[in-house]
Amino acid sequence: MSLLRFENVHKAFGGLKALDGVSISLEAGCMTGLIGPNGSGKTTLLNVLSGNLAPDQGDVIFDGRSIVGLQPSAIARRGVGRMFQITRLFRRLSTLDNLVTSGCAFGLSFHDALDRAERLIEELELTAVHDEDGGNLSGGQQKLLEFGSVFMGAPKIAVLDEPFAAIHPHMREVMVRFIRERHAEGHGFLIVSHDLPVVLGLTDDLIAMNAGQVVARGDADTVLHDPLVIEAYLGETAVS
Amino acid sequence: MNASHLRTRREFLVSLVFLAAVAAVPLFVTSGYLLGIVIVAMYYALLAIAWNLLAGYTGQFSLAPTAFAMIGAYGTGMASYHFGLPPAVGVPIAILVSAVIGMGLGRIVVPLRGPYLALTTIAFAEIVRHVARNAHEYTRGDFGMSVPLISSDRVMAFYLMLALLVAVQVGLYFLLRSHAGLYLQAIRDDETAAAGRGINVIFWKTVAFTVSGAICGFAGAMYVHFSGLASPDIGHIFETGLVLASVVIGGIGTMIGPLVGGFIVQFAAEGFREFGLRHMLVFAAMVILFVRFFRQGLWGLVKNAWDRLFGQGAARPARQVKEAGE
Repeated sequence: MSLLRFENVHKAFGGLKALDGVSISLEAGCMTGLIGPNGSGKTTLLNVLSGNLAPDQGDVIFDGRSIVGLQPSAIARRGVGRMFQITRLFRRLSTLDNLVTSGCAFGLSFHDALDRAERLIEELELTAVHDEDGGNLSGGQQKLLEFGSVFMGAPKIAVLDEPFAAIHPHMREVMVRFIRERHAEGHGFLIVSHDLPVVLGLTDDLIAMNAGQVVARGDADTVLHDPLVIEAYLGETAVS
Repeated sequence: MNASHLRTRREFLVSLVFLAAVAAVPLFVTSGYLLGIVIVAMYYALLAIAWNLLAGYTGQFSLAPTAFAMIGAYGTGMASYHFGLPPAVGVPIAILVSAVIGMGLGRIVVPLRGPYLALTTIAFAEIVRHVARNAHEYTRGDFGMSVPLISSDRVMAFYLMLALLVAVQVGLYFLLRSHAGLYLQAIRDDETAAAGRGINVIFWKTVAFTVSGAICGFAGAMYVHFSGLASPDIGHIFETGLVLASVVIGGIGTMIGPLVGGFIVQFAAEGFREFGLRHMLVFAAMVILFVRFFRQGLWGLVKNAWDRLFGQGAARPARQVKEAGE
């Protein structure tokens, strides 16, 4: 049985069809890349999944139950971890407190949250900014901190929106290593990224979107050679 | 112990020192008039602390703190005036009513942010005040209601108010140390992120409104049992201005700032009393000055000076941190 299913999901903003009948199914422990040009509906799809937007039509089934209409916090506690395109963290709380807060909200005791936070800080190489306020961190460190916050819970699927954008190559390596390790432990990943080489280094399962629709799904070779994908996303030069 | 806890503890300890100094006032001041000013300062400090919980720690810019003080004042005032109930019964009723109304208001304004929240809460405050002014049968309107004094001994009244202030400050400290305190601050910093990390934003915002309303109601109830009169003036918009000024001048989002700010504003208001409402111009100017140049308030100025003098790492510029990371 699939872990996550989008069933004919529609979402419009005025006359703009951001999602136009999207149906996707993801298995537990998946590692899937979601690609598409700007404005193709990727982030809208993630917002529908995380409860930040309600679909106009269609359903989202997670772990066997519809999650449409649930509060984002309830969806997060059910196991959908969300990392946003524009980094979102608690700017006036320290690195440690950012993580501890998330851990407590995900149901850990304060003590356990503290233990896990300390381990994550070490693993994500944030020790130097352990006690700094989130707002004082560099852009890359903030990305890593937000990323770590997702894993203060035990997400069945971590939904990462442009996690590798504008971060130092070393931090990207740290993040990729972390993703591989957590995937090996059974966590699922849905990764939206324009950084195709990094995505392809992580997964061979790609979904391509354009104009609010899924235009291709399959392994990298199939998707990247799909005429619709080439036309919509990669551009004519990619054909040669 | 983590960084936020250390910061909160430092502010809490400084506030206890300040309160200890306040406790010593009756040992040196015998004038009932001066003790009265300090009692009123404690009332403003309580309102400032309650508003700071909402605005400073939860990011909810409500403009109704004195409306809840008025609800508390009339809660115990009506219990006394109409039913002859003593303060020991009236004050808990006032707290309960304020908390319930705070919860209701909180639930209503949960989706609102920024100017919409401010406008809704100021409208609520004005509605409450006009109900108090016009429901003569129950409130005696602008005449106000006579309320029995909690103690004819001003020193006793002083220490009762101080006990309330200490209790609220200690309660706030433990609230901020708990996971609830972290949730409130997380909501302040980014509601969307907070919800994405599993924090029930609706619930915790409602909790903040409830607790803040209860504290304001408690303060208002104690105040009328000190002044002997419950009147709609308690909820006047100028009063709200004084509460906001207390927090901004003292230092928003800190434990010590609103406490000290409440005293500063009350003493200044007393000093400028002969100028009537024109003293509000001075407070307005002070608020503009602090918001523009000293956004962390007086406590921020003191803390930065301390860090510079004694080399605490807290003053390390953000750029250094960024460079260390990349």
